[in-house]
Amino acid sequence: MAQGIVNRVVPSSSFALGVVRFFVHGIFLFDTVFTSYSALGSLPPTILRPTGVMKFLPWSFFDALQTQRGMLTLKTLMLISLVLSTAGFLTVISTKTSLLLVLFYQGLLRSFGHFNHDEMIAIYFLVVLAFTPCGDAFSIDSRLGKIKRQRSAFAYAYPILLMQLLLAWVYFSSALIKLRVAGWKYLSADNLPALAIFHSLDNLHDTAFRGAFWLPQVREYLPYAVGFILVWELLFPLAVFFRRVRWLILGIGVVFHVATVPLMNIGFPHQLLMYVVFVNWDRRKLFKSRI
Amino acid sequence: MSIISKLTNSWAQADDAGKRLAIKYAILTAALFLPLFWSFLAVRNLYPIAAWNVMMAGGDLERGRSYCILRGETVSGETIDVAAIQLTNALYSRNWTMVNATIDNQAFKLKSIHPRNEEMLRQFGGIENLPPGARISDLLQAWGNIYNQREPESSPKRLKAIRLDMYRWESGSYADYDKFIESWRKEL
Repeated sequence: MAQGIVNRVVPSSSFALGVVRFFVHGIFLFDTVFTSYSALGSLPPTILRPTGVMKFLPWSFFDALQTQRGMLTLKTLMLISLVLSTAGFLTVISTKTSLLLVLFYQGLLRSFGHFNHDEMIAIYFLVVLAFTPCGDAFSIDSRLGKIKRQRSAFAYAYPILLMQLLLAWVYFSSALIKLRVAGWKYLSADNLPALAIFHSLDNLHDTAFRGAFWLPQVREYLPYAVGFILVWELLFPLAVFFRRVRWLILGIGVVFHVATVPLMNIGFPHQLLMYVVFVNWDRRKLFKSRI
Repeated sequence: MSIISKLTNSWAQADDAGKRLAIKYAILTAALFLPLFWSFLAVRNLYPIAAWNVMMAGGDLERGRSYCILRGETVSGETIDVAAIQLTNALYSRNWTMVNATIDNQAFKLKSIHPRNEEMLRQFGGIENLPPGARISDLLQAWGNIYNQREPESSPKRLKAIRLDMYRWESGSYADYDKFIESWRKEL
């Protein structure tokens, strides 16, 4: 019965899970291609503050890594693994190696700066994909006929549901934490403008928009805007189970994440791109085959 | 029929492969969500376990804040703003906190300190004697080198020095954003 419900609320084909694998791994591949690892390797290891599991690595390892050679090796390994996992070749192995390498690399970045949650949900998606049959379709493995086993629809539907639930948790728990920590003070008129202006003063953020300086002019309306976003975050889990409100909730998410860039110089592109798990790829495939 | 009995029946009817898959997915779900619940309850990030505490406290107009501007002094005598993201794009969204942490000497406050930082601490006689931004000079040197490597040898845009200027937005009003505090400068 439970499996039947799962199969009904999310796409349940190997194709749908394969497309999600392609997107999630592809985003990290894109990042790897367009990131200067040699510049990263130029940064002194003496400013590192290893975070979480990164603390288990010895300083001698970081010293060897923070060199041109160390970074070239890391980038090469990541490129090979992510190309394989994105294309779905040797998927059972390549999805796991990509997970480990991305996990390590993201940990390194967080050891220089702050935690930054943007890529975290995508990392959790990598975990899900590494332990589910995401290479059974939309992959080189399937083209080569390496996938012979027939699996139930549940085998493909549940991982997609799990990823949707993880994304819903991100927003829902974020709203609850805000209410727990700041309480009703979170709705104060100065919350958003003070934070947005602070993030717009330096030139160390990725963008240098000045929209934040306009916010004090409309400060009396901002508690409603902040309250609306808080309610939207609390209601985000409805997007998983109710198709009718799904696109409304996701649409607000797109507007919200796009708006934070000109207003706060803070973006969450990776998290936004993970909305891809809500697309019904089975229906897209059906539509395409009819054409 | 109750939901429990329906679930029990469907479990009894499932074949071995189906049961194995259900157990595997249950373990995967627990392995992901249990740490997330812990970090949520503790409101603590322990990489790779995340608590989504982004902007949880919100902004506070009554709290003053310091910030930095990265600038370069070119060989032609100009002072230009240098965008950190163009130097270390890998750090995406984290350049500003890397600078703040370096100014605050946070790398010297770890349980396990880098051997070269330990040596520096010994030279200064303890963290209380360490000046703010003890390693900023190394960071500026790295950024300056990255910038100059991308400019031709003859370019007037090459930097002879790079500096980090710190300002403070005093609390209480939406004005006076740029009270100068101090500067760190590195000749290249």
